[in-house]
Amino acid sequence: MTKDWKKIARASGLTIPDASLERIAAPLDSLEAALRPLVRGLPPDIVPAPTFHAAVPEEMENDA
Amino acid sequence: MTFLEAAAALRRRETSSAELTAAALRRIERLNPGTNAMQFVMAEAARERAKQADEELARGEGRGPLHGIPIAVKDLFRTKGVRTTAGSKLFEDYVPDYDAAVVESLHAGGAVLVAKTGMHELAYGITSSNPHFGAVRNPWDRDRIPGGSSGGSGAAVSAGMVFMAMGSDTGGSIRTPASFCGVVGLKPTYGRVSCYGALPLGFTLDHMGPLTRSVRDAAAVLNIIAGYDLRDPASSRRPVENYVPDPEPAIRGVKIGLPENFYFERLDPDVDAAVRGAVRAAQSCGAEIVPLQVPDIAAMNTVARVVLLAEAAAVLEPHLEKRDQFGSDVLALLDQGRLLPATDYINAQRLRRAMQRDFAGLWPRVDCLFTPTTPSTAPRIGETSTSIAGECEDVRLAATRLVRAINLLGLPAISIPCGSDRRGLPIGLQIIGKPFAEGLILRVAQALLPGEVPAPRL
Repeated sequence: MTKDWKKIARASGLTIPDASLERIAAPLDSLEAALRPLVRGLPPDIVPAPTFHAAVPEEMENDA
Repeated sequence: MTFLEAAAALRRRETSSAELTAAALRRIERLNPGTNAMQFVMAEAARERAKQADEELARGEGRGPLHGIPIAVKDLFRTKGVRTTAGSKLFEDYVPDYDAAVVESLHAGGAVLVAKTGMHELAYGITSSNPHFGAVRNPWDRDRIPGGSSGGSGAAVSAGMVFMAMGSDTGGSIRTPASFCGVVGLKPTYGRVSCYGALPLGFTLDHMGPLTRSVRDAAAVLNIIAGYDLRDPASSRRPVENYVPDPEPAIRGVKIGLPENFYFERLDPDVDAAVRGAVRAAQSCGAEIVPLQVPDIAAMNTVARVVLLAEAAAVLEPHLEKRDQFGSDVLALLDQGRLLPATDYINAQRLRRAMQRDFAGLWPRVDCLFTPTTPSTAPRIGETSTSIAGECEDVRLAATRLVRAINLLGLPAISIPCGSDRRGLPIGLQIIGKPFAEGLILRVAQALLPGEVPAPRL
């Protein structure tokens, strides 16, 4: 099932012109079609690759 | 001449940094109009730094192999007091007040920064045909792309303008230009080299690495830029080692995995033949070739694209109201990223962990993998689709088909030239290692490419 990207863009408040949405609809559809079966087979206990680590301030220089 | 050779000549006082820098600037002046490899040239600052390097060397204050060597960095590395555009109109007047970590390390090593290299807009593409700063052209055939996004770095090193140029690689952006321009391109393990101060594209996919004219040069640069950096949350605390291989290293007994699926499907026949020739060369050096099945690389490419679309859109979202400031190809990718649901991104990152585990199952059997870097040689500027082995394919997807998954896995990989096609265009061999096995892939690469890469006639 393909999505209506124009409706999604409008509902999200994104100002993407219709012509641009028409151009990107096909690649988005094919990307999601490729992703969907992979996700279906994913065990529920797999956590995302980047994980959050609690840190004390001196370990957080980049976040300052 | 490689930069390690130039460094040896400097130590013997057979040349000076001022002479090497003047020669680099002359070559840039002659060749840049035809290639557009350099975005900005800092001639005066470079001459001043070269003079300082010569004085330090005369006092015996050597800072290492890059001391006094003219180099360039891709224009996404922040450089204090020097414009940093990332190839984008958004940042055309941006002058940072600090250096990227990599630039700090290169300065500390005494390198002479002569220029910043051209690139694909925002590092988000592989043609380096930049709508704001012009197309970078391949020194082997100026009607062809140099690859990207570090296209200027590949072209500059190939054309001999500088001894080394830094690049970044989010989906193949070091290895693709290395392949198309016939130079060495090293993408280290994720977290091995700090990303601090490089304008980000995909936070969990970005890697920084050098493009050079020899394997030992790439290794020597890695010695200088690798290491833990508190300012980069992904930076690894794992100790660094001396990565420079012996000039003629032994690879007897090294187990090289040769994928039977995916990587040799839909290749230009010349690419297939050249890479298989490299496999035979490794075998003749005593390496053991292990045919094997790799996990689903096409699925990894899908997951990597979802991750990149979402991360790049998140980074650039604040600028997306200025649509006229973006090239159409980059804007289309950013729009796609904004439309993907958060669940797709999270699930892609979950799949990534599962895929990392699957792929790790190969390492008990082999030490590294040999694959082509790109399925064809450099396409023509302006081409959006290309025919490979009789099938029509999008140029961007084709050029990243064999490299993108390695960013998802964070593995170290190097591209070295391994021959040329019927038109004389370079072909790249990709050597992929297990995490933090840069030393091993550099050793294998050095065994196959013990000297300098072939140079185009210019």
